[in-house]
Order: sequence, then structure tokens, then C-alpha cells
Amino acid sequence: MEIKFSLNGNDVIVDVPPMKRLIDVLRDDFGLSGTKEGCGEGECGACSILLNGLPVTSCIMNAVHVIDKKVETVEYLAETELGKLLIDCFDEVNAVQCGFCFPGFVVAAYHYIKEKAEADEQEIKHALSGNICRCTGYVKVIDAVMLTCQRVKERGMR
Amino acid sequence: MKNIRRCDGVAKLNGSIKFLDDYKMEDMLYGYLYYAKFDHGKLKGIKYPSGYDLNEFTIVNAQDIPGKNEVPEPECDQPFMAESEVLHFGQIMLGVAHANKDKLKIFCEAIEVEYEELPAITDIDECLDDENNAFGKVLEIDHRRNIKIESHWIKTHHIYRTPHQEHVYMETQGMLAYFKPESRVMNVIGTLQCPFFVKEAVEAIMGDNISDAIVEASEGIGGGFGGKEDFPNVIAGITALLAYKSGKPVKTVLDRADDILITTKRHPSRIEIVSYTDPDSQKIKSLRIDLRLDAGAYQTLSPVVLSRSVLHASGGYSIEDSYIMGRLFRSNTPPNGAFRGFGAPQAIYAIEAHLDRVAAHLNIDPYRLRQNNVLQIGAELPSSQKIREDHLAACLEKVVEISDYQKKNEEFKLWNKTHTDKRGIGLSLGLHGGGYTGNGENMLDSEVRILITADADIAIYVANTDMGQGAYTTLAQMVSEAIDHPISKTKVINPNTGKTPNSGPTVASRTIYIVGNLLRKLALQIKADLQFSDLSAYVKANADDFPLEFRTRFLPDPDIYFDDDTYQGVGYKDFSWAACVVEIYFHADTYEVEIKKCWNVMDVGQTVNPSIAMGQAHGGIIQGLAFGLSEFFYKKGFGRKQGLTDYTMMTSSDMPEIEVEFLYKDSLLPKGLGELPMDFPAPALRNAFYHATGIFIDELPLTPERIFQAMKDRG
Repeated sequence: MEIKFSLNGNDVIVDVPPMKRLIDVLRDDFGLSGTKEGCGEGECGACSILLNGLPVTSCIMNAVHVIDKKVETVEYLAETELGKLLIDCFDEVNAVQCGFCFPGFVVAAYHYIKEKAEADEQEIKHALSGNICRCTGYVKVIDAVMLTCQRVKERGMR
Repeated sequence: MKNIRRCDGVAKLNGSIKFLDDYKMEDMLYGYLYYAKFDHGKLKGIKYPSGYDLNEFTIVNAQDIPGKNEVPEPECDQPFMAESEVLHFGQIMLGVAHANKDKLKIFCEAIEVEYEELPAITDIDECLDDENNAFGKVLEIDHRRNIKIESHWIKTHHIYRTPHQEHVYMETQGMLAYFKPESRVMNVIGTLQCPFFVKEAVEAIMGDNISDAIVEASEGIGGGFGGKEDFPNVIAGITALLAYKSGKPVKTVLDRADDILITTKRHPSRIEIVSYTDPDSQKIKSLRIDLRLDAGAYQTLSPVVLSRSVLHASGGYSIEDSYIMGRLFRSNTPPNGAFRGFGAPQAIYAIEAHLDRVAAHLNIDPYRLRQNNVLQIGAELPSSQKIREDHLAACLEKVVEISDYQKKNEEFKLWNKTHTDKRGIGLSLGLHGGGYTGNGENMLDSEVRILITADADIAIYVANTDMGQGAYTTLAQMVSEAIDHPISKTKVINPNTGKTPNSGPTVASRTIYIVGNLLRKLALQIKADLQFSDLSAYVKANADDFPLEFRTRFLPDPDIYFDDDTYQGVGYKDFSWAACVVEIYFHADTYEVEIKKCWNVMDVGQTVNPSIAMGQAHGGIIQGLAFGLSEFFYKKGFGRKQGLTDYTMMTSSDMPEIEVEFLYKDSLLPKGLGELPMDFPAPALRNAFYHATGIFIDELPLTPERIFQAMKDRG
């Protein structure tokens, strides 16, 4: 089945079985390997992407779900002004450890800051609660998002 | 001692670093490990589904193994693949490969196994309560001193239990193997902690059919926590065999459900402690410990876990008369293996839970009891090892101070009198030995290599992988700081057994402590031998001499001796120390324990990169808290966990506040850090629950169901 959608700012068409998992479409058909499979059941958030601007887990979405919709992956978000700042802040506080879940955190944090940009610890914890990390205990992840919010404000990026 | 950024941070954040599943090769097949779905049985036959062209599939079983069907481990009793008998659920029977991942999966799901079912032990208590299940070597630490047990001494006798714990490294296990017929070299790339262990495993299974196995770590390794110490041997061996038989590259990546079901777990424990305490001096005078670990169906590396467990069983206390016996027990569950702490978290949990039992018996504060018994300089461990520093007492005092333990202890007692919900605060303390146990580091004989190029780049060759703990950054930092050369020109080369000397496995909190200190020593030696102040200028002036290579080996300390038979001597040259406080809020209506805050004060010696060290501490603490609060894998009546949906880990919204302080961080020696923070949160949590409710729960984790039962039992 021909699936037409917007991927990272470009209109694309891909011919895949309609029920092919979105994560597999992204990784296998488009070579976008920044989207990671951690659990395959929508629990861990490592495969998070933005679908029409909202974070979803691509391992429990199918190709048909994205027809005529807008998909943005970590590769694209990382190159935006906000994405670059976010990554720099995560890197500055050494929030990353194994890094497998972090593309997912970048997507979730990007969405939070885009929508909210308030350095509110409780809200950040809630916004990131769909992303599981086994290495960091989340402490530095939250620090990094707080720092990004602060810099967004300082730089008048909103 | 600087907070530099990780060398791999940005690549991990933007998704560009390659994890194992991101590797692809031309003509590559996908591999699958086909495993038993029953606990114990005699194999009668395997039936492949009809409607498939079997020639499309590469299938290997035990009969196809050209070398040995024996996974190299401290105890080589586990086969790569089952022969006539299956001893546990998840035991691998076949390796299967096909070019199409989906077709492979559907085919494997339809394979039928005929077998004759045999009786099986799958329940932890059933396994550990019956002494007939003991197997392997019994370990004894005998420090009995013929003291007279006075009649007024207080006897405290209890059994403490801990369950399986799953690592949940976020990247599941995976290996990619390809064979080069011209050189007969088997190449393996994997997500792993110990490249040389995997090399040995591939060579064992392939026998004379290959000339060499070259094992390389994937660029990114998505977490390990011990889980990628031993199981990679199994998956690499079978994947290599599939690559050999098919003549094509084969990549095997487990999906989460398979990974949880068939890979190793933390050993469940049953630890029975009897102690006698003098109520006048408040000193524990005598200690007897019967320590049992459920090894699973095979011993594999369990004897070494048991060894660390018995050597940590008396915790951070000085006790005159002690006797510790450790045994492995057999069950029909997958072999349990390495997991951050390696036997110590179970032992520390038991002794720390026991200490609060003793304090309650004596009707004194647990803090006071710990102060009276904590290891001081000159004290002796049961192994007769003498303690040379009093840092543990300092950790205890500091954690009590920063947590405001004493004030809260009194306040909560009052508060609890007038509230149905309860508040509590609990303590724990102890030690963790750095590096391999006993003579282990001498036997590993680790070697490191530094290469300085004609462009004055420093390349560091070690076999230790960065599974997230920051090893590539901190090791480079140690060399860069010792040589006084920019970190941007100092790099750890991706471990590859064809290029890197064997600096040993990435385990036992030994990477900075053993390998890093070796590298630092070598770097200082290079600087002293070449007599430069600026390496770049020196290389420029002596360009013809470069590249230059330097190597050094681990030098055993002649004063360190450990007797592997009597378990007397120096078990660990250097201990790291920690004391921990946990504060909880108990919701009486839901039986739920809410962790408010965890304080952990540690001495890990020098913190090479304080920010990375802090990250390690945070991660260990959350794993430790969840070990106490929610994580278990299999239990009768509960069944077996299937994935991340029912295996309950903490998310960011479950996280309590965490406060970590490193003492003695300016000392010259960096000691073990990776495992220490794992050991103490669980017992402190359990002790806080007693403080809150007056109920001792001796078995982890403190789930609402278990608490409900304990309260019902008490009436």
C-alpha cells in the first residue's frame, strides 16, 4: 500500500504493508535509526516521534496511521534551533549515560518546551514519565530540561 | 577532577551513534534463538512447520557444534544449546536464521517441540528452603573465636529474602557475526561488557573450524549493569555458528519479551542470620550466617557471585566471632548471573535488615547500634582482613547530619501516633570491594596500551567498554590529565580484541579503579621517560620517533594475599564505603510506600569526573530503591514477568528527591564506584517502613500486596 505523509519536513511516499510498524518504516525504509526500539509495546518511549506535533511511540503505530500526517523524528528535531539548544544542555550537565533512550527523551523534552517552556520540575517529570531510563535516575535529565527552559527564556526564543 | 563533557554525548542525543541493531551488512540474515517454553523435560523431537522451504532457513542445534557445547564460565556446566534434556524455561534448543525478520519470527513461533515433562523447581522458596537443592562448592568463612555466649546476651534469629531482579538495559542483547573464509576468522560485533569473554566463547563453540575470533564492541552499548557480562557469550556463540553454516553475516537481536524471559537475572537469596548482642555494651558479639543463592539451572558464574556475597555478608561491622556459610541452590529457571553489586546487595540487605531487628530487640535507636558496631581502623573482617580507614563511620555521621535523621526520627514517631498514614526514616551502611575478589586481579593480569601518533594524538587501547558509565570519557580524562595533553586529542579506541590488549572485563567496579589507575601510571611514566612538558611540541621536534607505543601490566601487590580454600586474607585491597538514609510516606488506604527522599553519602576515593560520578550514583540509587520497592521477576502465584508493561520500574514521576555526597573525593586514588550506590537504598527503605509502621518485612520488594498481607497477618 502506498503511504503518503510528511517526514521531517518533506512529502514522502512509501510502499509498505499497511500494518507495518511505524518504527520499522522509519528505520528500515528511511534509514532513520535514531528512533530506537526498547520494548516494542509502547512502554519505554525510546521510539518516540512527533506525530502532528504530539509525542507518540512509533512501535505501536502502524504505517496507515500516518497517512497525510506530519512525522518528525529525532534526526530532524536535533537540527532545529531548539533541538540544538536542548542537546547542548543535556550534554553540558552530562545527563546522558548509555544513550539508548535519549533520542526519545529529546523528542519528549522538545515537545514539552515547545508547548510550555516553564521550568516547573513537577510538570517536567510528568511530561517525561512516558520515557523509561535505566541509567540516570532521571535527576540530570530533569536538570537538563530545566536548564533548557531557562536558556530559552534568556534568549527570548519564545 | 574536572566536569568535562562526555565524548559521546551529542551522538547519543541526536541518534547518530550506532547501537547493534543499527549495524547492517550486505546479504545479512537475521538470527533467532529458539528456546524451550517448559521448565524441565526430555527432548523427544522437533517438528518444523509445513509450508516452508526449509532450504531458505539456516538452522543449527547442539549436533552442529564443531567445538564444545559448553559456555566458558568459571563453572562450565551450561551448554550453548540443549542436547537431550531441557533444564529450564528459556533454554536455547536451536539457532535459526533467515533473510526476512518477519518470516523468521512466524516460522519460529510455529515450531513444535515434543518432550516428556519432568518435575521442576521454579519457585524461589521451594528452591532455597530445601537443602537437597544445594549444588557446587560450599564456601565457608570461619572466624569463630571460641567466645562464651552469656545468658543475658540477646539472640536475634531471622531469615531475609530477596527476589530476582531484571537488568532492563534499554538496548536488548544483540550480536552480529560474519565469517571470512579466506582467513578463517570469525568476526563478531556486539553489545557487550567483556570482549575477551565473548572471544573465548566463540572460539569454544567453533573449535578448529576458525583460526581466530575477533570481537568488537558496537559503537554504542545501551546499558549493561552486569547483564552483558555473561549472556553475550551464549548469543555470540550461536550467532557465529549460524554465520558459519549460512556463509552470510547474521545479526541476532532479542526482542524485549525474549530478553526478559531467557537472559540472566540477579540471584534470589535466602539469608538466615543468628546473632548474639551484649545489651550492656550494645555490641554484636557473635554472628552466624547461612547464605543461599538460587543459581538457576546451571552454576555458570554463580560461584564467583557467591564468593563476593559471603565476603560482604557481615556488612560494615566489627564482630568478634563469626561464621559464614554460602551455598548455591539449583532450580529449573534460567541461570542467574552478574548484576551490579554481584551478590553484595543481597548480603548487605540481609545484614542491614538484621541490624534493625537487633536494635528493636534492644529497644535502642538503629543509628546508635550502628555507631557502636561500625568498622573502625584495625577492626577485622571475618576473612581476617584488617581495616585501614575509618571512612565508613564518617559516611554514617555525614548522612545522619544531612538527612536530619535524628530530628525526623523523633518527629515522625509523634506524628504517627495521630495519623493513619505513616512516616518513616531508615538507615543502612556498608562497604563494597573494588575489583575482582581475592587473587582475581592477579590472575586477570590486565594489560593496557597507549599509542602516540605523529600528530600527537593519544590513542588508548583497553578492552573495557562504555555501556553508559562514561568509561571512554573518564579513562581518556585520566590519561589527558596525567600527560597534560588536551582531552580533544586523547581518545579511547573502540574495544576490539584484534587491536586491544586484554585489560580484563568491564565488571566489578574495576574500570577506573584498576584499568584507569594502570593507564594513569603509564601516562605518568611516559611523561617522565620522554621528559616533555608539552607533548605536541615534543612530538613535533622528534617526529621521526612517532608513532610510539607504550604498554604496561597490572602489578600484583606482594603484601596482598588471599587463600581461596580457607577464605582468609585480603578479599579486596580497597573498599568503597557508603551510608544511606531513606525517608518514606506510607499511604494506609492503598498500602503504598511513597519514597520521599534518599540520601547517600559515599567514599569512592577520587571522583575523576564529578558530574559523571554523580550520574552513576543517581542511577545506582534508583535501581537500588526499585529493588526494595517494586521489582521482581517470578514468584509462585504471581507468574513470570513478560515485558516492560508488567515489570515495574520507576519513571520520572515516581522519583524521590536524591541527595548524594562524596567524601574524600580529593584523595589520590579513585576506587570502585559503579556498584556501591546499588547496595544500600533497599535496606534503608525497608528499615524506614519498620520505623513508620512497626512492622518488619523481611522479604523484598515492599509491594502493596506484600504489605497488605503482612498487616493482615499481624491482625
